[in-house]
Amino acid sequence: MSARILVVDDDAALAEMVGIVLEGEGFTPSFCADGAEALAAFREHKPDLVLLDLMLPGFDGIEVCGQIRQESGVPIIMLTAKGDAADVVAGLEAGADDYMVKPFNPGELAARIRTRLRSMAPGVTTAQTLRIGDLSIDVDGHEVKRGDSSINLTPLEFDLLVALASKPQQVFTREMLLEKVWGYQYKADTRLVNVHVQRLRSKVEFDADNPTIVTTVRGIGYRAGAVI
Amino acid sequence: MKVRRFDILGLPARVTRVWRRSLQFRTVVASMALSGVAIILVGIYMSFSISNDLFASRLDQVLSESQRAQVAAQRIFDSSDASDQASMQSVMNAARTAIRDASSSGLVAVYRVPDQEPNALAPQNFSSPELTGGVITPELKDQVVTTADQQFWQSVELPINGVLVPGVVVGSQLDIPGAGTYELFIGYDFQQSEQTLLFIQQVLWFSGLGLLILVGGVAWFVSRMVVSPLKNAAETSQKLAAGDLAVRIPEKGEDVVATLARSFNDMAGSMQRQLTELADLSVMQQRFVSDVSHELRTPLTTIKLAGDVLFQERESFDSKTRRSTELLNAQVLRFEKLLGDLLEISRYDAGSVNLEPEPTNVAGLVQDVVGTMTTLAEQHGCDLSLIAPGGHFDADIDPRRVRRILMNLIGNAIEHGEQKAIDVAVDSNATAVAISVRDHGVGMDADQLEQVFSRFWRADPSRQRTLGGTGLGLAISLEDARVHNGQLDVWAAPGEGALFRLTLPRELDVPIASSPLPLDPTGDSGGEE
Repeated sequence: MSARILVVDDDAALAEMVGIVLEGEGFTPSFCADGAEALAAFREHKPDLVLLDLMLPGFDGIEVCGQIRQESGVPIIMLTAKGDAADVVAGLEAGADDYMVKPFNPGELAARIRTRLRSMAPGVTTAQTLRIGDLSIDVDGHEVKRGDSSINLTPLEFDLLVALASKPQQVFTREMLLEKVWGYQYKADTRLVNVHVQRLRSKVEFDADNPTIVTTVRGIGYRAGAVI
Repeated sequence: MKVRRFDILGLPARVTRVWRRSLQFRTVVASMALSGVAIILVGIYMSFSISNDLFASRLDQVLSESQRAQVAAQRIFDSSDASDQASMQSVMNAARTAIRDASSSGLVAVYRVPDQEPNALAPQNFSSPELTGGVITPELKDQVVTTADQQFWQSVELPINGVLVPGVVVGSQLDIPGAGTYELFIGYDFQQSEQTLLFIQQVLWFSGLGLLILVGGVAWFVSRMVVSPLKNAAETSQKLAAGDLAVRIPEKGEDVVATLARSFNDMAGSMQRQLTELADLSVMQQRFVSDVSHELRTPLTTIKLAGDVLFQERESFDSKTRRSTELLNAQVLRFEKLLGDLLEISRYDAGSVNLEPEPTNVAGLVQDVVGTMTTLAEQHGCDLSLIAPGGHFDADIDPRRVRRILMNLIGNAIEHGEQKAIDVAVDSNATAVAISVRDHGVGMDADQLEQVFSRFWRADPSRQRTLGGTGLGLAISLEDARVHNGQLDVWAAPGEGALFRLTLPRELDVPIASSPLPLDPTGDSGGEE
């Protein structure tokens, strides 16, 4: 079964063209042109991934992003005409997993979508339980538990945590994480890492200002906290 | 001791400084000095005329009293019929009393005029003790002796109670019948007048001093009235010049200062309006460029996706359609690059560029870029080499921007390098790190050098462009260098190639002392300027 992708974009021509590209890559696209209807469309189509234009009539993309995040951890890739710092960071903080600045290549688009979908596919990682801090991670079951209570993470946050926990001795630079989690082969925007580490910390840490699960190594990057 | 000496030495300098800086101080000092001179002149004049007048009136009084005394004494002598020495002496005594009474002065001396025939009847000379001992000068005596019926006077110092006081001695002749001619001297004490004069002088000086202080106070007050609005205006215009367009001078009254304030405020208001309009216009224009660029991106994305789909399928097209597809694809890429550059320039114009510096190994970064460009260079027949004697440390730079500068410089070198060697060098010194890119291609003449950083300028429009630059590359590179507080310099000579040198400070806020790399590769002078 091919992955369903919801394209939320008010530009009909672009949406249609993205649809053609996605079909060519073997995905099943559905469309929504209005931010106010995006959530309804999301509930109706139950997509595996959302491509979301940041500038929409009705709501702006950032609000839509926040609404979807409240219901689901489904991967969201923002499409933005603005590569400016503030817009990108606002989108990422609202919960987008990744972003693409227009104009993008079809190949690039497909590659990003696949990277995000890959982590959704079951059984690609080795079946094992990882431990990080006082958390236990069931890699196969996509579940993170503190004691008996499970913590709800988006697939991307889960991937990030697994990447760190799988090599607890290693300090990961932002570039390494970009490659491992986001699939970037070249140097990309390290703010992606910063924003998502913050989001992850807000879910798994007791005190996000004083992190023990995902610790910062000043000037280098991040590493997993010691197992308790 | 030391401190005190320092203070004394420092005082003139401090006064000079205040003098130079404070209009008010200058006004006060100048008016006090001028008034002081005037007061002194008036004081001296008044003191002189008062003392003259005092002396003259006292002298008149003294002369008339002395005249009266002389007349009284002469009358006594004329009416006497003394015929022996004793009665003559008693007449003399009576005359003496009369003199004392008439002259209201106790200082009396009577001498017989010398060189007369000795006369047994002649009464003896007598003198008050104050008039002895050279108080009466020979000159005065001579005058009295030679001229009868006339009074002579002389200013003298009289020893009264052992103290010398100013006074006058008046001399005249007495004719004593039967005894000969006598000189009469009456001394008058002028102490009273002197004291009056002193008192008046004191009053004069004190009131002069008071007046001076008053003048100073008035000058201070008046100058304050005039200077403080001026000072206020000066401070306000300074603030205005410093960019605070909202400042105004308070307008009070209808006088010339208020007119100044009003005109100033009108000027400031109109400046503020115009600047705000200009700023608004500029912001609008920049936003427009930015909006246009953004708006173009969505259709461009569609075109690009469509072109790419077509490009993937090009093998199945006939040759014309295939070539069209290839051209479309290439030009869409060019369009995209141009749009990106345009947007970047508009960001710089809008001043909305944020440097994101991070500690970056400069030599490593250059090596990295040279590595990625090597293939391209080889495709164009250029030998790309790197020498890095320095720069092996972490400098505070925005790696994305420096990478962009470097790729642009190397790209240009490949484009204009005529398939000759391209030398990249990295070096550093205490304050800066520099990267230079040298090609040995066509080079540029002086006119071209002036244009090289201009937007959309191309060295030789007729040349075939192989790498498809946008014409904005060097303009952006220059801005990228400037936002680092760095500099981008160029050397070129026709036929000898060109050298671009990027110099960046090791730390953003520490100025560059000199560039570690020479700009002119033909000369041997290193690190100029």
